[in-house]
Amino acid sequence: MNEPPAVTGEEFRKVSDFLYRRTGMLFTETKRYYVERRIADRMSFLKIGSFPTYFGYLRGDVDGEIEKFINAFTVNETYFYREEHQLRCLSTDLLNERVRAKKPGETLRIWSVPCATGEEPYSIAMWLLDNWPEVDVQDIEIVGSDIDTECVAAAQRGEFGQRALMRLSPALIEKYFEALGEDRWRIVADLRQSVQFTAANLMNRSETRQHGKFDIIFCRNVLIYFDDASRRLAAENLFESLVPGGFICLGHTESMSRISPLFEVRRFADAIVYQRPPGGTNG
Amino acid sequence: MADGAGKRILVVDDASLVRRFYRDALERAGFEVDEALNGVEALEKVLGEPFDLAIVDVNMPQMDGMTFLRTLRRQSAAVSSLPALVISTEAARQDAAAARAAGANFYLVKPVSQERLVEHVSIMCGLPT
Amino acid sequence: MPLVRRPSPPTEVAAAPASLTEGTSDQRWAAVRAVAERPDGVPLLAAALPLESDPRVREAIFTGLARAPTAESVEAVIPYLRSDDASLRTAAIDALRAMPEATRPYVAGLLADPEADVRLLSCEFARTLPESEANRLLGDLLVRETEKNVAAAAVEVLAEIGRPEVLPALASCAERFAGDGFLQFSIKEAADRIGQP
Repeated sequence: MNEPPAVTGEEFRKVSDFLYRRTGMLFTETKRYYVERRIADRMSFLKIGSFPTYFGYLRGDVDGEIEKFINAFTVNETYFYREEHQLRCLSTDLLNERVRAKKPGETLRIWSVPCATGEEPYSIAMWLLDNWPEVDVQDIEIVGSDIDTECVAAAQRGEFGQRALMRLSPALIEKYFEALGEDRWRIVADLRQSVQFTAANLMNRSETRQHGKFDIIFCRNVLIYFDDASRRLAAENLFESLVPGGFICLGHTESMSRISPLFEVRRFADAIVYQRPPGGTNG
Repeated sequence: MADGAGKRILVVDDASLVRRFYRDALERAGFEVDEALNGVEALEKVLGEPFDLAIVDVNMPQMDGMTFLRTLRRQSAAVSSLPALVISTEAARQDAAAARAAGANFYLVKPVSQERLVEHVSIMCGLPT
Repeated sequence: MPLVRRPSPPTEVAAAPASLTEGTSDQRWAAVRAVAERPDGVPLLAAALPLESDPRVREAIFTGLARAPTAESVEAVIPYLRSDDASLRTAAIDALRAMPEATRPYVAGLLADPEADVRLLSCEFARTLPESEANRLLGDLLVRETEKNVAAAAVEVLAEIGRPEVLPALASCAERFAGDGFLQFSIKEAADRIGQP
C-alpha cells in the first residue's frame, strides 16, 4: 500500500495558508493526511516530481488547479435537496422577510444561477410546495439559468437518474416524479412547466439584466473559482439583479469575504446569507 | 504566565504570519483563538459564535478594519458590545483617534511583542495579569 | 397556482444616464456600470473617482477600471494607496490586485516609494509577479528596508513565494531587526518554508 510521500510541516502550512487565503477553506492539522494524499495524487496525475513545482502550479491556478485540488474535499455532485439547510432558511426566514417588505400581490422571484441540469431550481419549487405555509397565497416565479445551453435543455427535459434523487423520500419521488423506466425519472409536467430555464452568462451584464430583479438568488459553487476581476464583475451583476433587501446564497464552503464587499452579512438559524442593503431605489 | 481561562479571541488580520504569531502567544497563555482575514469574514464569525475580544488590523482586502468596526457597532446588542483591540501599522495620533471613532476600545501600534499582546488581551478580558 | 411562469422575463430598460457625478447614488452607480462597458470609459471613470464619496459607487468605479487593465487605469488607482481613508486604500489594493499584468511595471517603483505605508501595501503586488522577479524585488527591499512593518509585509509574501536565492536577504533583515520578536518569528517561518533547493 502506498503511503503518500511525506509533505513537510512547512509545505503543509504553505499550502493551507494559500488555500485559506484564496478560497476560505481551512485545512487544519487534523486534515493533514488528506491534504498530503491530495497533493500526491495531483503531482502523480500531472507528472510533477517536486513539491515547489507543484506549489507554483497551484499558486498560478494553472488549468483550474485550485478547483481540481479542492474538488477532493467537497461534494460536487448536484442532486435534489443539496444543502437543505439553505432551503430551510429560505422557507423559514428569507421569504417571510421578503413578503413583509413587498406590497401584497407582488410576485416573489427566485433565481438559480448556474442551475446546471435543473436539480436546484426544481428542488426549490418542491421544497416550497411542501414546506412553506404561504405557498398557496403568494405568487412565486422560479428561474434557472446556465451558461451551458445543453444543461438548459436537459433541465427543461427534467429527467434524472437515481443518484440525483438520493436525498428524496419515496413519498416525495412519488409526488413529484414519474418513473420512465430503469433508473430514470422525470419531474411531473406541472412542475416542469412552472420553472423557466434560460441561458445566461454571469459575466455578461446585458444578459443578467434581461432577467430583471429577484428577491432571492442562489449562486452556488461558481464564484469562488473566478479570477479576481471576474468575481468582482459577477458580484456586481448579481447585486444589480437583486431588489434592495434581496438575498443571495452561496455554496456552503463559500463566502463573500473572498468575493466582494457589496453585500451585508446576515446570519439566520440555518444559514449565512448575503443581502443587498434595503432602501434606495431599484438601481 | 497569565491564565486565559479559555476566553475566546478572534484575530482579524490578512497576514497569515501575524495570525500565527498572535495565535501562538494567545494559545500558550490559555486563550482560545479563531481567525478571519478580512472584515467580512470577521463579521460572519462574530455573528455566529460568542467571542470575548476581537483583535483587528486596519488594512485588509474587501473590508478594512475601520469599516468592520463601524458595521460591528450597528449589530444587535449582544454582538455590538464585543470589545475590540486595534493593532495596526499606522502610528500617527489621528489613526488612533479614527479607530476609536470607528468603535475600537484600544489601539496599539505594530509590531507588538507576544508579552505585550497577552498583557493587553488579558486586561481587556478582565483577567489578572 | 402558486408557481407562476412568465413566457419571458421583463427587460429592464433604464434611461441613458446623464453623467457620472449627478443624481442619486443609485443613478450614479448605474451610470458608472454603463460607462465601464464602453471602450472609452477609463478616462471618464478616472475623472469621476476623486469626486465620488459613496462607497458602493466608488467600488463600481474601481471595478470598471480593473476591467480595462491599462496603464491609464493603474495610474488612476495608485494615488489612492496614499489615502488617509482605510477603505479607499483597501479598494485601491483590491483593484490593482485584479489587474496584475497592468500593475506589473509599476511594482518596482512602488516598493521604492518614499512613503513607508505605500511600500508596505505594495508588497502584496509581488504575489502576482513571476517568481524570480518577485524574489528579486522583495529581496532588494529587505536588504535596504529600515521600517519593521514594511519588512514584515515583504516577509509575509515571501512565506508563500520565496525561493532559495532570497535567503541571504532574509538573513540580513533578521540581523538588522534582531530585537523584534515578530520579525524573528516571521523570518524563521519563511526561511523554513523556503528550505533547501
